[in-house]
Amino acid sequence: MTTAAPLVALVGNPNAGKSSLFNALTGARQKIANYPGVTVERRSGRASFADGRPIELIDLPGSYSLTPASLDEAVTRDVVLGQQVGDRRPDALIVVVDAGNLDQHLCFALELIDQGLPVVVALNMVDMAARDGLELDAAALAAGLGVPVVATVAVRKRGLDDLVAALDTALRGRVENAASNAAPPVPDQRSLHSRARTLSRAATLAETPVRRWTNAIDRVVLHPVLGFAILLALLFVMFQAVYAWASPFADALEGGIGTVQALVVGAMPDGFLRGLIVEGLLGGVGSVVVFLPQIIILFLFILLLEASGYMTRAAFLMDGLMAKVGLSGRGFIPLLSSFACAIPGIMATRAIPDAQDRLTTILVAPLMTCSARLPVYALIIGAFIPAQSVGGTIIGLQGLVLFGLYLFGIVGALVVALVLRRTVTKGTTAGMMMELPRYQMPRVGDVLLGLWQRAWAFLKRAGTIILATTVVLWLLLTYPKVPEGSSISQVDYSIAGRIASGVEVVVAPIGFNHDIALALIPAMAAREVAVAALATANAVDAGDDEDAVAAALGDTIAGEWSLATALAFLAWFVFAPQCISTIAVTRRETNGWKWPLFMVGYLFALAYVAAGITYWSARALGLG
Amino acid sequence: METSLDRLPLGRAARIIAIDWDMLDPAEGRRLRELGLLDGVELTALHRGGLFWRDPLAVAIGRMRIAIRARHAAAIRVAPLDVVPAE
Repeated sequence: MTTAAPLVALVGNPNAGKSSLFNALTGARQKIANYPGVTVERRSGRASFADGRPIELIDLPGSYSLTPASLDEAVTRDVVLGQQVGDRRPDALIVVVDAGNLDQHLCFALELIDQGLPVVVALNMVDMAARDGLELDAAALAAGLGVPVVATVAVRKRGLDDLVAALDTALRGRVENAASNAAPPVPDQRSLHSRARTLSRAATLAETPVRRWTNAIDRVVLHPVLGFAILLALLFVMFQAVYAWASPFADALEGGIGTVQALVVGAMPDGFLRGLIVEGLLGGVGSVVVFLPQIIILFLFILLLEASGYMTRAAFLMDGLMAKVGLSGRGFIPLLSSFACAIPGIMATRAIPDAQDRLTTILVAPLMTCSARLPVYALIIGAFIPAQSVGGTIIGLQGLVLFGLYLFGIVGALVVALVLRRTVTKGTTAGMMMELPRYQMPRVGDVLLGLWQRAWAFLKRAGTIILATTVVLWLLLTYPKVPEGSSISQVDYSIAGRIASGVEVVVAPIGFNHDIALALIPAMAAREVAVAALATANAVDAGDDEDAVAAALGDTIAGEWSLATALAFLAWFVFAPQCISTIAVTRRETNGWKWPLFMVGYLFALAYVAAGITYWSARALGLG
Repeated sequence: METSLDRLPLGRAARIIAIDWDMLDPAEGRRLRELGLLDGVELTALHRGGLFWRDPLAVAIGRMRIAIRARHAAAIRVAPLDVVPAE
């Protein structure tokens, strides 16, 4: 018996409510990392027995069997069999099954029990099963399976104490080395299914044949016309909300940063340090952090759609369309996540079994408008598009333009995918098979935890990459100091100004001015830095005139840029691969430099062409 | 009167008679079996993905519903059941 905390893996089918159970058992004490060599997320956390001894829990990716069809499922198999590099074999398994879908979920449970590890079965979501008219006998199921079965409702924290107690008993009673390292032969699915059916029947006290609620909702949301209308409406509301709901919070944050800047200006003597803090640090990072409310609202929608079960319906509705361009509905979820950030989106493509399908999804993921582009869009739209409604309706013009930009990215992605699937990523048409889970109320705690994890990731980025680049940029912008009495502005005289003059030669034909050329350089680190860079450049230009520093960046830009330039700038950001992290994650996911370089090349070419077309069309229409 | 699953009218229950595994690649075939699509199993076709295309197809098997492509459904021979089960 080892003295270390026992390692217990949570394992089960997708949609068994495994993650909710994991959250309920570990609370916020979670560690998210990657398995070595692959980029499958390893979620671990601590729980404890009744007497306080700790349990090390890991949440394994949902799987249908121990024969993997994707990278995620391969990790599940390797951990269960003790073949995962860097992890010892778990001391016990908590097999999570959906009480409302025993016929299916018991198949994997049977295969897992046959591995010989101590097992406790969590008969999860018994409340939902009851709502569907299903009455189950946990004791009968335990007798049939030969392992303890505990009824749980993860979202209400019901049955958790019993589950942990059963786990304790199972661990105490285990026979050392009973589990053989050689996996038993892969079982025949037919015999597994018939055993599962027999067991499930024996454990069922009463049932009604259908899922009433889910059927009723599906008749509406999967309706070929109405369903699409609802999906579009949902996406539209989501993007309007990102714009409208976030602004009071964003204004408050902006005001707060302004106050701090004024305090520092009042408290410190003029000099290098004050400039660095007020203009470099607060000005640069502050102008990115104000977008935190929008990012939180976007993630709130995505998390709610995922947790409620609607996300797979969206995948179902989109699959036909995605199939037309050689992708699958499975790619819809990674692509939709890419609206928040391409990095989790690209990582989520691991659930796509087909290699070429997955590669194509990775390559087009950066075309989904990620939250980092939102600051850029928000700044330009705020400055150039009047805040009025369209034709006296409640639809705001600004929101409509934002919607258009998102749509532009989506259409671009579809066209690119179509071209790629016929050229560089040719292959068989990908299949799509997935379960459509039951609808359920998202658990507030799970959603808040997810929001916190994502907001923290964004703030960490703002505090590291963005902070470093804005400070470096401020230094490049401030030095060398322009000589007294010179007619050249500080920005043009600085090192950054001189580099930007070189870049300007290349981007001038697509309507970009010196400010933009300057902003594009640090924006390679992360797109949202473009806003920080513009803010820094303008703050520097205004010198110590506090009113000018305080003047909204948007007003300055509205006065200095033409509308054609602003539109070209927006078009550029729909396509430009300006994010080192995305390039890095693509390298990791595709195992080499070939595909990330290809991605960068085609995206820059598209961005240049799109910005050029936009600029010259706008000029031709007299918007110059 | 036997037909393939992709031609089964929506809302109609049927029993699987045979699955032509040669029409599916091995991984797809295995996943179908794991999802419980096996000879003798009863199922109901529920929804299609869109107005203008036949893909994908949502099928109810027992208490579960799954989505598959029309291409997979074409490999599955089914015999419609006489009695339409009440919803």
